[in-house]
Amino acid sequence: MAAKKKDKVEIAEWMYNTIRGPHITEKATLGSEHGQVTFKVANDATKPMIKAAIESLYGVKVKAVNTLVQKGKNKRFKGTIGRRSDFKKAVITLEDGQMIDTGTGI
Amino acid sequence: MKATQKKHDGLSYEYKVEIPAKDLDQKVDAKLKGYAGQVNMPGFRKGKVPLQLMKQKHGKAVLGEVIEEAVQEATQKVLDDNKIRPALQPKIEIDKDYAEGKDLVYSLAIESLPDFEIMDMKGLKLERPVADVADKEIDDALEKIAANRKGSTPITGKRASKKGDILNMDFHGRLASDPPPEDGDGHDHRRPGMHAHNHMLELGSNSFIPGFEDQLIGKKAEDKVEVKVSFPEDYHAKDLAGEDAIFDVVIHEIREPSETKIDEEFAKSLGLEDLDALRKAVREQMEAEYAQQSRLKLKKSILDIMDEKHSFEVPKGMIDMEHEQIMRQIDAEKQQTGSTEELSKEEKDELAEIAVRRVKLGLILADIGRTNNIQVSDAELQQTVIREAQKYPGQEKMVFDYYSKNRNALESLRAPLFEEKTIDFIIERADVTDKKVSIEELSMDDDEDAPKKAKKSSAKKEPAKKADAKKDEKPKADTKKPAAKKAAAKK
Repeated sequence: MAAKKKDKVEIAEWMYNTIRGPHITEKATLGSEHGQVTFKVANDATKPMIKAAIESLYGVKVKAVNTLVQKGKNKRFKGTIGRRSDFKKAVITLEDGQMIDTGTGI
Repeated sequence: MKATQKKHDGLSYEYKVEIPAKDLDQKVDAKLKGYAGQVNMPGFRKGKVPLQLMKQKHGKAVLGEVIEEAVQEATQKVLDDNKIRPALQPKIEIDKDYAEGKDLVYSLAIESLPDFEIMDMKGLKLERPVADVADKEIDDALEKIAANRKGSTPITGKRASKKGDILNMDFHGRLASDPPPEDGDGHDHRRPGMHAHNHMLELGSNSFIPGFEDQLIGKKAEDKVEVKVSFPEDYHAKDLAGEDAIFDVVIHEIREPSETKIDEEFAKSLGLEDLDALRKAVREQMEAEYAQQSRLKLKKSILDIMDEKHSFEVPKGMIDMEHEQIMRQIDAEKQQTGSTEELSKEEKDELAEIAVRRVKLGLILADIGRTNNIQVSDAELQQTVIREAQKYPGQEKMVFDYYSKNRNALESLRAPLFEEKTIDFIIERADVTDKKVSIEELSMDDDEDAPKKAKKSSAKKEPAKKADAKKDEKPKADTKKPAAKKAAAKK
């Protein structure tokens, strides 16, 4: 775990529930060139919550948070229609010179 | 890659080899790139996974492979740079405290093949002992064949039986302790195995229990004889051993063995046209046998010369392997014969010497073969398989199948073939003069003139070696059947 900074919010349990984990895909890796990291977050997470959580968990400074809700697909299994759950993605833009290593986990 | 020599003693070398971490890293990257198209990772299409991610996930697995390759490559390079021809697989030991990202350090221990000059074969003078097939030999052989086909004819007139005669008889036996048979006509069938009808017994052949045949001498045809004998104490049937027995014997006929005349008739009975054809066939067979003997002698003399003229250090590892193999074979033989006799010190020394000689000759022959580009072609191999198959009449198909399915077995035929070809090559080059010797001399074991060449006689006692254990090209040193038997008998 990264060292926390004085002026940041203390790490709290809700932060771990907010940030579900890194979202590693081809599209997500494209953003890494511009200091953008993508996370899966809780569906009810707000941008300020995400920002606070990322800043204290990873000890980095966040410039901006963009979120979107990825709708679950409709799937059929043996004729019955099912629906995968929606999930929220957050694209975090970091301040220049900051970085997060998503491979190591929180 | 950096290699430093740590030890060098005769034929054995020891190196410390270092492979920098950077080299390994590069190799890992290259390898990962090669795999890129096959890696499945959720969130990515095939082949689109960034290298960084691949490394995180699969780097460890690839590293093992890479290290193996790198070590092999480095080892090969060390061997090439130092012009070492390894005798056996090099011993490689990777430093225990190797960790990812550090330089790879390992120690390499090898034994090299010795460097030696093959003697000049041009001036080689060899003597090939040859023996002619004398007419007398053929006669002897024919007589032997005739004796094996001995027949018998009933005697004329009424004379008493004598030793050598063949009796056609019935016999019924009972133990002396058994009650006498009720009907008294001699047909006592109570004890199976102790009665027979129209049995042919040669007097003096000792095929029956002692004393039985003697009591039938001096009897006439149609005689009824009561033979009283006692079974020996060590008779194989437990309930009869040591018992007294009475046999009622009825002699039907007395026959005497008849000589088979060696004539046209005899030849025809053997399936040949006439006597001349038979003689010719026998002569050919004997000539082939003698030629085989001559070749063996010649080969042995070549090997002896090779052994004498070359002196070089023989790799210890190879000797150990050979020695082990000989010991294993002796153990196997021991188990078969059930003997528990331990080898004496001298015998052990002798075996050690044999191992050295074998390895040495193997190296020399392999080297001659290599420098002169002697190769065993597949066609030749095939011929050998056919010959091998002919040794088992009726089972040719099985033999063929065995060799076609079993690659290793086929390769094991290659070694002796290579050895033969090499020997042929030497004979071609060498100056071979034929020397007439008698048959006795030709078939004589070299053991008789042992004092002069003690070492050679020891080499002759080599147990026949099984070739299939040998995967390398090393030809067998010396395989001579009589020698093998001798070795077995000695133990």
